[in-house]
Amino acid sequence: MRNKFLLVLLVLALGVLVGCDSAEKTPVSFMVFGDSAELAAYEALVTEFENQHPAIEVALQHIPDQGDYRRRLAAAFSSGEPPDIMLLNYRRFGTFADQGGLEPLSDYMAASEVIAESDFFPITIDSFKWQGDLWCIPQNISSLVVYYNRDLFDAANIPYPSSNWSWDAFLDAARALTQDTDGDGVVDQYGVGIEPNLFRLAPFIWQNGGRLVDNESNPTQLTLDEPVSLDALQWFVDLQVVEGVVPDAAAESAETSQSRFLNGTLGMIFNSRRGVPTYRTIDSFTWDVAPLPFSRRPAGILHSDGYCMAAATENKDAAWTFIEFANSAEGQSIVAPSGRTVPSLRSVAESPLFLDPAQPPANSRVFIDSIPSLGRVPIMSTWIAIEETAGNEIERAFYGQISAEEAARTAISRTQTYFDQNSLQP
Amino acid sequence: MHSRLSYKAQLRIFLLPYVVGSLILVIIPALATVGVAFTEYNAIQPPQWAGLANFVKLFNSPLARISLRSTVIFLLVAIPLRMTGALLLALLLQSRRRFFTFHRAAVYLPTIIPEVAYAIIWLWIFNPLYGPLNWFLGLFGVNDIAWLTDPATAQAAIIFMSLFTIGEGFIVMLVGLQNIPLAYYESAEVDGATNWQAFWRITFPLILPWILLLSFRDLIIAMQGTFTPAFVMTYGGPNYATTYAPLLIYELAFDFFDFGMAAAALIVIYLVLVMLIAGVLNIVSGWGDNA
Amino acid sequence: MRNIRIGTHHAVAIAITVLFLLPLFWAAGTSLRTVGAPPPNTVTWWPRDAQWGNYGFIFELVPMARYLRNSLLVVALAVPITLLTASLAGFAMSQLSNKAQRRLLIFSVLLLMIPGASVWLFRFQILSWLGLLDTIWALVAPAFAASSPLFVLLYYWNFRRVPQETFEAARLDGASAVMSWRRIALPLARGTTIGVVILTFVLYWSDFVSPVLYIFDTAWYTLPVGLQILKQFDATNWPLLMAGAVIMTVPVIVLFIVLQRFFLSDFSVANLFDRG
Repeated sequence: MRNKFLLVLLVLALGVLVGCDSAEKTPVSFMVFGDSAELAAYEALVTEFENQHPAIEVALQHIPDQGDYRRRLAAAFSSGEPPDIMLLNYRRFGTFADQGGLEPLSDYMAASEVIAESDFFPITIDSFKWQGDLWCIPQNISSLVVYYNRDLFDAANIPYPSSNWSWDAFLDAARALTQDTDGDGVVDQYGVGIEPNLFRLAPFIWQNGGRLVDNESNPTQLTLDEPVSLDALQWFVDLQVVEGVVPDAAAESAETSQSRFLNGTLGMIFNSRRGVPTYRTIDSFTWDVAPLPFSRRPAGILHSDGYCMAAATENKDAAWTFIEFANSAEGQSIVAPSGRTVPSLRSVAESPLFLDPAQPPANSRVFIDSIPSLGRVPIMSTWIAIEETAGNEIERAFYGQISAEEAARTAISRTQTYFDQNSLQP
Repeated sequence: MHSRLSYKAQLRIFLLPYVVGSLILVIIPALATVGVAFTEYNAIQPPQWAGLANFVKLFNSPLARISLRSTVIFLLVAIPLRMTGALLLALLLQSRRRFFTFHRAAVYLPTIIPEVAYAIIWLWIFNPLYGPLNWFLGLFGVNDIAWLTDPATAQAAIIFMSLFTIGEGFIVMLVGLQNIPLAYYESAEVDGATNWQAFWRITFPLILPWILLLSFRDLIIAMQGTFTPAFVMTYGGPNYATTYAPLLIYELAFDFFDFGMAAAALIVIYLVLVMLIAGVLNIVSGWGDNA
Repeated sequence: MRNIRIGTHHAVAIAITVLFLLPLFWAAGTSLRTVGAPPPNTVTWWPRDAQWGNYGFIFELVPMARYLRNSLLVVALAVPITLLTASLAGFAMSQLSNKAQRRLLIFSVLLLMIPGASVWLFRFQILSWLGLLDTIWALVAPAFAASSPLFVLLYYWNFRRVPQETFEAARLDGASAVMSWRRIALPLARGTTIGVVILTFVLYWSDFVSPVLYIFDTAWYTLPVGLQILKQFDATNWPLLMAGAVIMTVPVIVLFIVLQRFFLSDFSVANLFDRG
């Protein structure tokens, strides 16, 4: 009886171990994060690539959650077996590049007959450059925009956002959209949803003529306490504390802004292009995108992920072939219809594949028009820690627990240690 | 095989998977982690010797101080409550009357519900606008407690939900109570002692060693048990109120990629636990001297 | 008077039971509410138009069926292996000299205190050396080391309560250790075995760290990851989240109900904690 059991175990074990495909293909592993819609897009990409390059086999590794993704990357790097190709955000690649974990891609790019740096929007290329080398090939150039529920605008009898609307026009719309629809004294339709963090706040500071850090290329501290920056922070915080057009802490945790928007009880939500696949599942109302409202000058913030190659990769040429394909016009054209990305290649971004007005959002051009005014955060090894630490203070101010000045002050003092620890030299 | 190996040799072989397996899967990785505390390590480059730098960084970090304080407060409040709860429930439900098996099972059940699922369920219960808890409190005129969204109540909420997963302590207390000879109570009854007196004179002194033993184990269990709720429900917020040590260690490692500092934090929190245990033992041995 | 006291006792016990089961009941009720409908201001105990379709919907939204199958496979492997390794180790421990017993006891207690987080980084490395990464064995591996020292200790305490003469006599009759373990020890440890079955099942069933760390092929993901994906889809879509939580919880409850008769009826397993 027991012997039989062991036998079964053994057979199962062998089955799993031997079960792998042993064809003579060059294996390349490719790790991505994101929701199911994104996964579907990458699966389509890999399938088409393998059709065209039968000698290379791409093993797609998908981690749904970004936190899990980092945990897995850390474990994989530490064991010396990182994935051959991985998707990294431009705020995060620096740590990996600095420590010799990544393969510089400048030479591959220069030698490529398929893609060239000049095919891409310059800011995305710049955001993956460090110490003169290009480290990852940007797949997208997303930016923060306002998604709005057209039906709610109609119902409130207010005009849709214009392409150059001011903070005041935005606030007027937000006030009109914030309603207690059933008259029970509790607001059940809010005007705006926005996450209170440094990354969301940054473009408003830039619009006001302010800056996030004292020196873009060699930052030594946050500068949230400078008058124009503080002014932007105060405006941002007042949306919730004074105006009440954003759900408060309790309302947000009861039902997130994302959920409210999907359910048609939130007028406008700030998000990057990332929201599109989810919003496309909406069938109860029509929605569109508008650029960020601005005060003195338009400014947005870059969201970009790049295909990076691990330095430890054995099959570098095969890995590059895939990266090249994924970021060629053909490759980006496969991913573009998923709606998830704003293509980083100018030719694809300007093509009907991306701009197709039949697929919501009708006004996808907003993403492209905002590109010239995009800003980005500095490249630092400790940037994420700075963002999270400052974000905690911004959140407290946003929910009325401390004043904007105190938030700025505490954020600056608490993040100082991470500026001192930054190991990335420009 | 049976005939050739001596009885003792066979026993050793029985132990092999457990001992060797634990060595490979737990002890060696854990020791490597301890080693990393004295290095600078971000998982990409090999660790660089850094001496005590990580500990210095830790003591200078406001976040680490806040986290240590939340953790200690959690332990000092939650463990006595968990122990009291387990004892009270054991006293109430030890009866052999009908249906009491069912009642005992109900009390044990929450302990074995998958942590992630349980955290998500409590997230709903604590929902400040629509959650059943605030609805229930509303019946008594208590309105709109923010629970997880207010630093002042978030800690209380996490402690509150931890009081429902005391199954292990509950069972151990049941056994402890069962071990007290009935004769003690009979003679107390003859002396005319009330139930209350009997509890303090007989039950409590005899169950106390069990409570102590459980408290030590609970220090570890309750502390590690904070990870999933903090991770799933609040991610340490609001304003770090629920950034308990395990979550801090996780953040240092996997958000900030500072594995050296994470390992140092792990060592420090264990030293704190040892100190807590030593403190309790000290108090208890003091009682012994007076008695 | 006595009747009143007994009545009160029953009433209090019922109140406690209700209190401890309420969270689960609320979860089940909420899982049947209409998705996207505004939550009501009062608590509905059980929605009138129960949306059983919510359960079907999450199976469409994420490959829940595959995750369920994987989770079942993991426990189907891990539970028997754990029973084998833990009972063997516990038996051996109880038969060795006092000195060896004490050493193993200390070893086990120290092992019990090692936090899970401290092994995440380097276990990956070791599993990779062993060639187990990205196989279901990466999830099952701890079972070969008895899953938890607690299980070994449970068996150890159980076997120590058996009079040593029993084993001594068998040994003089020429019984091997394997025979003593199988013929004498295991039949005397039925309660412990049931306890270990439940606890091991829960341990592997709830594990949400290992699959994301050690599994690359999404086809091998397990239920806790599925719940994570569901939460990512919409973090406050309560009906769907509760449905996911219920799917994860029901098998544990079923197993518990089937086995609890042995588990709690006479505190039989609980007796094992008694080392006296």
